[in-house]
Amino acid sequence: MTTRNGNSNHDVILEVRNVSKSYPGVKALDRVSFDLRRGEVHALVGENGAGKTTLMKILSGVFEAEEGEILYKGESISFTDVTQASKAGIAIIYQELNLIPHLSVAANIFIGREPRTRFGTLDEKKMNTETKKILGRLNITLDPTTLINQLPVSKQQMVEIAKAISFESEVLIMDEPTSALTESEIDELFSIIQNLRDDGVAIIYISHRLEELNQIADRISIFRDGCWVSTDDYEDIELDEIVNRMVGRKLENKFPPKKNIPTKEKLLEVRNIVRKGVIHDISFDLYQGEILGIAGLMGAGRSELVRAIFGADPIDSGDVYMNNERVSIKSPAEAIKAGIAYLPENRKEEGVAVTMQLDENITMADVPRISRRFGLLSRKQEEEIAQHYVNELLIRTPSVHQVVNHLSGGNQQKVVVSKWLFCNSKILIFDEPTRGIDVGTKYAIYEFIEKLAREGRGVIVISSDLPEVLGLTDRLLVLHEGHLVATLNTAEVTPDEVLNYAAGLGSSNQKQAQVLN
Amino acid sequence: MQMGEIVKKQKSRIETLDRPQRSKRVLDKLFTFGAVIGLFIYFSFTARNFFTARSILTLILQTSTITIMGIGVTFTIITGGIDLSIGSVIALAGTVAVMVAIAGVPIGLSMLIGLLVGVICGALNGLMITRLKLPPFIATLGMMMVARGVALTITNANAWPAPGNFGDLGNKTILGTGPKFPGIPYPVLIMIAVALIFGFILKRTAIGRYTYAVGSNEEAARLSGIKVDRVKMICYIFSGLLSALVGIILASRMVTSQPNSAVGYELNAIAASVIGGTSTLGGVGTVSGAVIGSFIIGILTVGLTMQGANYFMQQIVIGLVVIGAVSVDKLKGRR
Repeated sequence: MTTRNGNSNHDVILEVRNVSKSYPGVKALDRVSFDLRRGEVHALVGENGAGKTTLMKILSGVFEAEEGEILYKGESISFTDVTQASKAGIAIIYQELNLIPHLSVAANIFIGREPRTRFGTLDEKKMNTETKKILGRLNITLDPTTLINQLPVSKQQMVEIAKAISFESEVLIMDEPTSALTESEIDELFSIIQNLRDDGVAIIYISHRLEELNQIADRISIFRDGCWVSTDDYEDIELDEIVNRMVGRKLENKFPPKKNIPTKEKLLEVRNIVRKGVIHDISFDLYQGEILGIAGLMGAGRSELVRAIFGADPIDSGDVYMNNERVSIKSPAEAIKAGIAYLPENRKEEGVAVTMQLDENITMADVPRISRRFGLLSRKQEEEIAQHYVNELLIRTPSVHQVVNHLSGGNQQKVVVSKWLFCNSKILIFDEPTRGIDVGTKYAIYEFIEKLAREGRGVIVISSDLPEVLGLTDRLLVLHEGHLVATLNTAEVTPDEVLNYAAGLGSSNQKQAQVLN
Repeated sequence: MQMGEIVKKQKSRIETLDRPQRSKRVLDKLFTFGAVIGLFIYFSFTARNFFTARSILTLILQTSTITIMGIGVTFTIITGGIDLSIGSVIALAGTVAVMVAIAGVPIGLSMLIGLLVGVICGALNGLMITRLKLPPFIATLGMMMVARGVALTITNANAWPAPGNFGDLGNKTILGTGPKFPGIPYPVLIMIAVALIFGFILKRTAIGRYTYAVGSNEEAARLSGIKVDRVKMICYIFSGLLSALVGIILASRMVTSQPNSAVGYELNAIAASVIGGTSTLGGVGTVSGAVIGSFIIGILTVGLTMQGANYFMQQIVIGLVVIGAVSVDKLKGRR
């Protein structure tokens, strides 16, 4: 009945009706309904835990629904594994890409269903020509024989898309596809998505980056706490309204009011840092109470710059001064001793020790502080410390002894923050602090960064999210290919200007940059 | 005010949820420990003379060497590494101690020299892994061959008799009351001391904490200011030291230099550690687990022998236990 209904106006390819799914103790999806049409990009938004991922996993055959029904091309379906779904034409591209790094593009696309020659060996030639055809269809220029680990993330993602397309997928689900891409790569991705849409592919597009949806979304569905909230044509809904529905309350501002006041006291002076081929002669200052942003495209050397200052990567020359004294930082241990903290970009790879407990992670950077006689660690003190930060940062965990692996991304981030607070760091460097984190938690992290600055610490924030950098910082460094191309007062700058600098185009307003430099 | 309430609410939630999680962990430990007791009871009923003070002491004595090695290798496995040189270091440390004793060095000092040999081997393993960036498998495989070769060279591949009281450490006991209870052998006391000391180091001190951190996430550990290379060095030195200790105990028990002894012992050590729950992926493992694991191996070996099963049969059973223990852990992890 509904199918007929759908067909009267639009060509509905996939329909979800009253689907529910529970995990022990949590109702992840509560009688959710939603439909997807051929040739549309359907944005799916909601905070972490809203049920988006669960729904996607049901659609792609990872989980089975407990209640309700899914109609695909008018027929009721229930996939029991991913292969069935992809054979039927439903493909999913996860945020964490599933490619095999040491194999070629073609080998990855055909993995598990490689064409064979007459002799039963792999038909490399056919794989390569087929791959070239698929890539050509998507306007992607890539050599099929390139190994995946030699490609940047953006290209790897395109390989994933090509792989999905090679299954003749009619429904493509993309989970946070832009989280690791730069602006220009995002444009490229969007043009590919638009091509697919024009070819009639139905696309479900999950994203935390609401700003980018206006470039791509035709309709938008909002989820909250496992329930469907609304579905609208994208044109008919304002950004503010989307956010309100996602969080279920009115968020007055995306960023907390800035109350931190940068002083004239220099906390950190970086002079002529050089790392050959990566960072070219960069100097800057960080003041007490200041939030300093570092903007730039991917590969501009942002993380590399702060890693060099933190002693995580070696430098070829340059000096760092703290409180007007030269400090030698050759290892993270020395940086930490000097009062610098670094919250890395990849939480799982570099930030937390996932098999260890929450409390053990918090004390990790300053274990001697909980050591007693004979080097005995005080478990009780450790527990109290962890409890303190759990309360202060509202870390959601069943216990301070919880193994960090079981915490959500936002909570893991809070654990990393707690670790550095415990060290009493005076300078905190945040590298992409909100990547992959939902709107509500984002706000909490912004608030928290602002509070750190208000307490007289210096904060450096690296972010690919331009509104974030502009909304949060007092001053802004813009890097381009390892050079510092501009030092700007955030209050006086427009997004376009920053982007121009970051793209290496300079600014129409050179004067301003010179004054600030 | 409102904030305070939220905090309070959350706090009470934490307290209520904390207890079951903890008791689950205790239960897990009890389960493996229960396996030891179960095996023990099983053999007490099925193997004649198994449940006598004499054979229990023999059992503990035989197991003590596996336990000591197992504890050493547990440290290296937790860091995400491995130590394949254990058997060879045992032979080398034992032969060096015997040879210097024969040369006239006092017994105590010659044993200390033997231990030093183990420390040096461990340090060399550590240097290869941290400086040359060799995979631990390769570095310790090389050391396994080199140490064995050196042991054979300095003894000319012969078993040289050691001076008389060299054998005290391996053969004497305390608290003996006669033939019924021959007393607790020194090696057993050494094992208990090693388990207590290294258990303490791993669970309760900074170096132990760092060992877990390095194995769990090396980069996160480094960025937290942990001197990763130093931690690894210490772990390989621990393994070398404990191997040497076993080498001296064995040489003392035989009262001879045995350059061909302890071949493949590292595999027993690794098996004990893994049965006890150490993850070869790093970041997970305990000293108590290694102790329990080695006792499972020890009881099976002794029990099966007394039941009359031959050596080949024992190998099959122990192999299946290793596979089974890790499978159970895997299944649990998935749940």
